[in-house]
Amino acid sequence: MYDVLLNSPVSAEAQTLLPTVETMVGVLYFGLFAISFDFVSGYTGYLSFGHAVFYGTGAYTVILVANGKVPLLGPGTPFMLSLLVGGLLAVVLAILVGLVSFRLSGVYFAMITLGFAQVLYVFVRGWDYVANNPRDGPAVGPSHVEGFQIGVPGVDQLSLAIGVLTGDEVSLLGSTLSSTAVSYYMVGLVVLGCYFAMQRIIHSPFGRVLLAIRENEERAVAVGYNTYLYKLGAFAISGFFAAVAGGLFAGFRRSASPENSFYFLVTGDALLASIIGGFGTLAGPLYGRLFDETVREFLSPAGQGGGLLPYLRALLGQETLDAAVVGNETVGGLIDLLLNGHASLYVGIVFVLFVLYVPDGLLGTLRSRVGGTFAEAVPARIWGDDR
Amino acid sequence: MILEALADFLTVSELGGVVVNGLAKSALYVMIASGLTLIFGLMGVLNFAHGSLTMVGAYLGGLLMVVTVSGGTPPLTRLALFFVAVVVAFALLSVLGGAIETTIIRPLYDRPPIYQILLTFGLTLVIEEVVRIVLDVYGLQPISDWQAALATKPQFLREPVALGPVSVGWMAMFQILLGTLTVAGIWAFLTKTRYGLYIRAGSEDAEMASALGIDVRQVFTVVFALGIGLAGAAGTLLMWDPTWGASVPLAAETLLPAFIVVIVGGLGTFRGTVVAALVVGMTDAVTTWWFQNAIEFTGLPELVLFLVLVVTLIVRPQGLFGVEEVGGH
Repeated sequence: MYDVLLNSPVSAEAQTLLPTVETMVGVLYFGLFAISFDFVSGYTGYLSFGHAVFYGTGAYTVILVANGKVPLLGPGTPFMLSLLVGGLLAVVLAILVGLVSFRLSGVYFAMITLGFAQVLYVFVRGWDYVANNPRDGPAVGPSHVEGFQIGVPGVDQLSLAIGVLTGDEVSLLGSTLSSTAVSYYMVGLVVLGCYFAMQRIIHSPFGRVLLAIRENEERAVAVGYNTYLYKLGAFAISGFFAAVAGGLFAGFRRSASPENSFYFLVTGDALLASIIGGFGTLAGPLYGRLFDETVREFLSPAGQGGGLLPYLRALLGQETLDAAVVGNETVGGLIDLLLNGHASLYVGIVFVLFVLYVPDGLLGTLRSRVGGTFAEAVPARIWGDDR
Repeated sequence: MILEALADFLTVSELGGVVVNGLAKSALYVMIASGLTLIFGLMGVLNFAHGSLTMVGAYLGGLLMVVTVSGGTPPLTRLALFFVAVVVAFALLSVLGGAIETTIIRPLYDRPPIYQILLTFGLTLVIEEVVRIVLDVYGLQPISDWQAALATKPQFLREPVALGPVSVGWMAMFQILLGTLTVAGIWAFLTKTRYGLYIRAGSEDAEMASALGIDVRQVFTVVFALGIGLAGAAGTLLMWDPTWGASVPLAAETLLPAFIVVIVGGLGTFRGTVVAALVVGMTDAVTTWWFQNAIEFTGLPELVLFLVLVVTLIVRPQGLFGVEEVGGH
């Protein structure tokens, strides 16, 4: 799709507006992380501020397994299996953290999960077993040069490797999909599967109890539910999928650092995505992340992909760029100053505006506009309510 | 080896040094956290932008010092200018805090408390990016400490002083002095002035206070402004401390310890915050000594601080001096 648009007459505009395929892979795995964050925080109302620890666990497990540093699992372990192992580790961790944390609520719950996560973050950052330089984090070493394969383990025909440099290319119907595009579809497959699993859980009786906890926990207890166990269960499930997301991230990028996996600001990014997309909508955070990344890339420097800056430069021409505005600052200097690498500013402003004026987020607002989820509302619109 | 280190640790000179350093760290922590605790105690707003505003304070204070101090300025003038910088940073950030409260936080009081966390979190992104843009204009490095501001520190604050067998830095003494002044000032304000009475009444029961004719909305604004102002004053002090320094990452570096102090002390009690700052500061100093002398794990002090937070929350969820109801939402 992206390639088709780039070769079309609107290529300049398309390159400006659309995120690159590589970014889109990031949107997918981080979107999954944000969804898992929403699964526990949006549905039970307990803000899990240390959620990054599960993401980091998944990422580190994948890399350490590939480097042969995990006992019993050699470097040749299939990627799908190490994703699963990472997920299970996160479940154990989530239960341990949850056992003590769910005795608290509100701000205190957010703070204790933050505390646990930061303890692990500092620990991982100083543990020289995981990498030669633990501060920079581990990277996949020479024991695993081939790409991580998503698919059915052991069956070569049903697996495709991901990664920008290490991924497979696929020729299909006369056109070739680049390794990044293949990664996009394969990561997307896992993310979609995880999303359906979580969606299924949320719409089960179990998920109803989670909603009851968010709306009125005392009443849920009074009705006879052991809310503690339900919360713990939700936390564990959410931890599992967060770790899968982290594993996908590590599998695609082939390296991780404490700052982009365990640090509390990673949770902050998930929070950002959840709020923009819609808190407690499950699918919303993915769209939130898409929105977030699109804005970031639109305003990012002229690295990869397009963005506003190169587009403006090309559009305005050199003479306009060199024209002086204030003092000795030129137009080019000014747009460079305001647009080069300062996307967080605009994302932050958008975020504040969302909190103030669109508290339900993109998907939440749209859903309340059409009255229900799209899967229900759209057919109802088309065929009438009397299906 | 551990035993040897322990014997070394327990000598008067080492232990004395650790205690003084611990007090200095406590003074910094109490300055960082007091604004946060005032705001939370009264309004129930956990202000995520506190660290960023501390960072802004550090740059503002640094800017004033860099502009006014030249190479030949005598040490005492520098000190006097420093106090001026503290006051100016306090005043400017108070105004900013008041503006933030009235424009964007006020509409959120009716919503669940999570929205205030979210909003201030968003604010952090905006503030940090604006600071980065401004630094860009002046060609300063956002990540590393602002050396020009550090250089305005008078020479004698860099030198050690002997207190009996114990050798401590003048800077530590200076920090302890400022921390004590801050605590005394806030305590006097809360207990001796009419406005402090309003604040305590509002923390206790905002509805009742407003029923008795106190304009609680105005009190909210003033407390938010004061809390942010305190963050600015703390930032100005941190700007002179080589282990902190004015830099953009200072925001996250101060936010997390401030949270630890406030939570350990108990949300909403000033006394708890002071005690918790002492506990946290001492723990920090002791673990730092052990890290420097015996144990080779780089993150040791930080790790132990977060463990203090976690253990406190497990053993005594409302904090050392917290009352169960305050912030229990």
